[in-house]
Amino acid sequence: MSSAAAEQDASPALAVEELVAGYGGVIALDGVSIVAGTAVITAVLGANGAGKTTLLRAISGMIRPRRGRILLAGTDLVGRGPEQIVRAGIAHVPEGQGVIPELTVEENLRVGMMSWPSVLSRERPSRAERTAALDEAYQRFRPLAERRRKLASTLSGGERQMLVIARALLARPRVLLLDEPSLGLAPRVMAQVMDLVVQLSREQGLTIVLVEQNARSALAIADHGVVLNLGRVVASADAATLAADVALRHHYLGF
Amino acid sequence: MVEFLQFTLSGIAFGMIYAAVALSLVLIWRGTRLLNFAQGGMAMFTTYVGIEVIYRTGSYWTGFVTALAAGLVLGVVCQLTVIRPTVNKPPLNAVIVTIGLLILIEGLAGIFFGGQYRSFPTAFSQVGLRIGGTPLGVSRYDVFVAAAVLVVTLALAAAFRYTSAGLRMRAAAFNATIARLSGIRVARVLTVGWALAGLLGALAGVLVSPSTFLYPNSMDTIFVYGFTAAVIGGLDSPLGAVVGGLLLGLALSYSGGYLHNGSNLVPVVALVILVVVLMVRPDGLFSTTQVRRV
Amino acid sequence: MTMQTLPRRLGLAVVTAVIVWFLSVRLDTFRDFQIAQVAVYVTAVAGLTVLTGLSGQISLGNGAFMAIGAYTTALLLLHLNWPFIAALVASAAATAVAGGIVGVAAARLRGPYLAGVTLLLGVALPSLAFAYQGVFGADQGLNVTFTTPAFLGATFPLTRWQAWVSTVVALVTLILLANLCYSRIGRNWRAVRDDEVAAALDGVNVAVTRILAFVVSAVCAGLAGSLLAIVTSLVAPGAYTLTLSIALLTAAVIGGLGSLPGALWGSLLIVLLPTYVTDVATSHGLSSSVGSNIPIAAYGAVLILVVLVFPQGIQGGLRQLLTLFTGPDPKTRISRDASAPHVTPQADEAPASQHEKEGSS
Repeated sequence: MSSAAAEQDASPALAVEELVAGYGGVIALDGVSIVAGTAVITAVLGANGAGKTTLLRAISGMIRPRRGRILLAGTDLVGRGPEQIVRAGIAHVPEGQGVIPELTVEENLRVGMMSWPSVLSRERPSRAERTAALDEAYQRFRPLAERRRKLASTLSGGERQMLVIARALLARPRVLLLDEPSLGLAPRVMAQVMDLVVQLSREQGLTIVLVEQNARSALAIADHGVVLNLGRVVASADAATLAADVALRHHYLGF
Repeated sequence: MVEFLQFTLSGIAFGMIYAAVALSLVLIWRGTRLLNFAQGGMAMFTTYVGIEVIYRTGSYWTGFVTALAAGLVLGVVCQLTVIRPTVNKPPLNAVIVTIGLLILIEGLAGIFFGGQYRSFPTAFSQVGLRIGGTPLGVSRYDVFVAAAVLVVTLALAAAFRYTSAGLRMRAAAFNATIARLSGIRVARVLTVGWALAGLLGALAGVLVSPSTFLYPNSMDTIFVYGFTAAVIGGLDSPLGAVVGGLLLGLALSYSGGYLHNGSNLVPVVALVILVVVLMVRPDGLFSTTQVRRV
Repeated sequence: MTMQTLPRRLGLAVVTAVIVWFLSVRLDTFRDFQIAQVAVYVTAVAGLTVLTGLSGQISLGNGAFMAIGAYTTALLLLHLNWPFIAALVASAAATAVAGGIVGVAAARLRGPYLAGVTLLLGVALPSLAFAYQGVFGADQGLNVTFTTPAFLGATFPLTRWQAWVSTVVALVTLILLANLCYSRIGRNWRAVRDDEVAAALDGVNVAVTRILAFVVSAVCAGLAGSLLAIVTSLVAPGAYTLTLSIALLTAAVIGGLGSLPGALWGSLLIVLLPTYVTDVATSHGLSSSVGSNIPIAAYGAVLILVVLVFPQGIQGGLRQLLTLFTGPDPKTRISRDASAPHVTPQADEAPASQHEKEGSS
């Protein structure tokens, strides 16, 4: 495994190069370059409209960039749709209600496994494997286990956030994109979510790209931070340095 | 009293046909927010395919199964060629495309199969059943019709609820974005949806044609009533489609039977019911989503 | 070819009238009949293209409004011996009322729900002719007698007079519609079509605007029906089926949705193409059932192609040809750009999943 480890140091898990993307006539990302190291939490910060959500959408294939490259362990993913990108190993938890309220908790989780090789392919996972994966999810997220047969619409805000993260994890990604996971959550629940994010990075070696409006709590758990403004990168440094830069914080981050 | 029973049973029989058409429309609507005006035409075409097979092989069931298979195929073909390009365009475009598809299919049917009325055979007797001498107003065939639609509907419902493929379709219908992000190939799911809708339409066509004769426009009225049933029930509710179909079938049967000049007023009655339902619940009886209002 | 001022419109109308007069005198009776048919269709299609193209409401039931106009005229001519012009006005009034009722009932309906109601209307209304046979004459319908006025002389061909009358009504309708489209009402229609919420916030009364569009298109259809009554001398339910409503929509779309000249192109196509194609088919030995179905299949195919490839229809194609010669022209276009820019993300975004649920963006 040592050559693999060397490879990991050589190329970052996820690299975005000079990305240009937008909607219709509006350019939202104007040449953004970001590097997300393996097993590192990278926070993407900035005011509303800075392009943070657009960045995640471009990475996961929801929108097609106009220029630039998105490299996952060296392979350019631009042009692929979301179904392929999640199979390549990037899971995106979008902003807002990511649960499907009309489905039960268990059904929502099963949706997360839809990127696994299908029953028709050679490497089809056995039923036992799928059940094991679900059990693992229920072990880690106890409240979901208690409500597995209930409709997702009956979950609280914090439980829903847990569900969407659990679902994303079931896709067995190497990279996890989280868009405002703490949005609308009470402070105590927000802290739990942040703890979970740290756990995923440290214990599972997941590369995490975290978009957060709440820059303070994001920087508290992140290793590296990138600040966007009007579609451009205005700062990129390790989290401690960014947190210490008072002028930067006032100007772009609101604290 | 006997009359009432007759009207009720006949209303149920026709109601199930409307329900089948309504279901096929709901299937497509839930997946793509598109109303398939060509559904009746597609059903008519596949019924013609069925009848040709029956003439050549002499076997009703071979023709029956072929028609259903043709429905699957036609659904896939239509979706891949004509419908996919309309996906990100304004909804009016899709409506007009399906109307164009309807006209095209009816024209092609006239060209390939001729315009004259054809009678369609049945596998079961159409003689009215009796219980102890009193005519029930329905035949063995009508019972078959109701049973066939019921069985297919229940099978589909079970497939949706309990299979992985069904979950895929539901997820794609409820939230296509999340579905794609989870790895569901939504485009494929939509094609399957059209295939199933084609199947349901083919079933409706084969079941109703013995009563109406087969000609290029024969499914127009059935489609209109099936559409009405779907709208009454709520375009995104399969349950609503079935309930709407039955309610409409019964209402039309009663008004046809009891109203003075009833048989000619049936379409008017349907219109009144539709308008009343939509004024009270503009999204249909069982709809769960709210259309944005000013 | 901007039709922005009344004198220019009147001028164009006069020129058209002269052309039609010339043709009607030179061509034979059958052609005169076709001129009248085209005029009838233009009147109805113009109203529909305004309703669907400008105001964004689809109607699959305008054939029913034509039926109302036709039967009103027939009854007034038959039983009360009214002069045609009076019957024409009465038909317009009757369809205005009907259009208002439908518009009110449909005011809250959108998209497929509106299509459904109008579809059922198109099917239900003609069936009343069978329900009340005494009045409406059921299958055989009502016969209409229409004669040339005395001052034209005894030998003046009826078909030519029918062509003239129809053309005049059609031109007047087009001028009035053009005036409406460029007025504040027309702007309101387009505003409501493009974004209801924004229009309402701007102070536009959305419901009234939509109902007005319905009334206008119904009146146009009623006038067309009235003309059809005197042109074909017969009003029977078989002529006002769903097929007619769909033919109107086909003509509007192929000609160019939302465009008044488009109504003319579409009507010409609908009237002239079938006989031409059927003649060609039968002269090549194809049976009449095949021959008469080829135009139908062709319409369907053309309709699909127009929507997918040429959303602006014939009128759009002509405009593009014109700009090839004259260079781009910043004129106000009243026709709708069917591929209007979306605010949603581009390219391979998942298919239309505008699930307007609580809170989800």
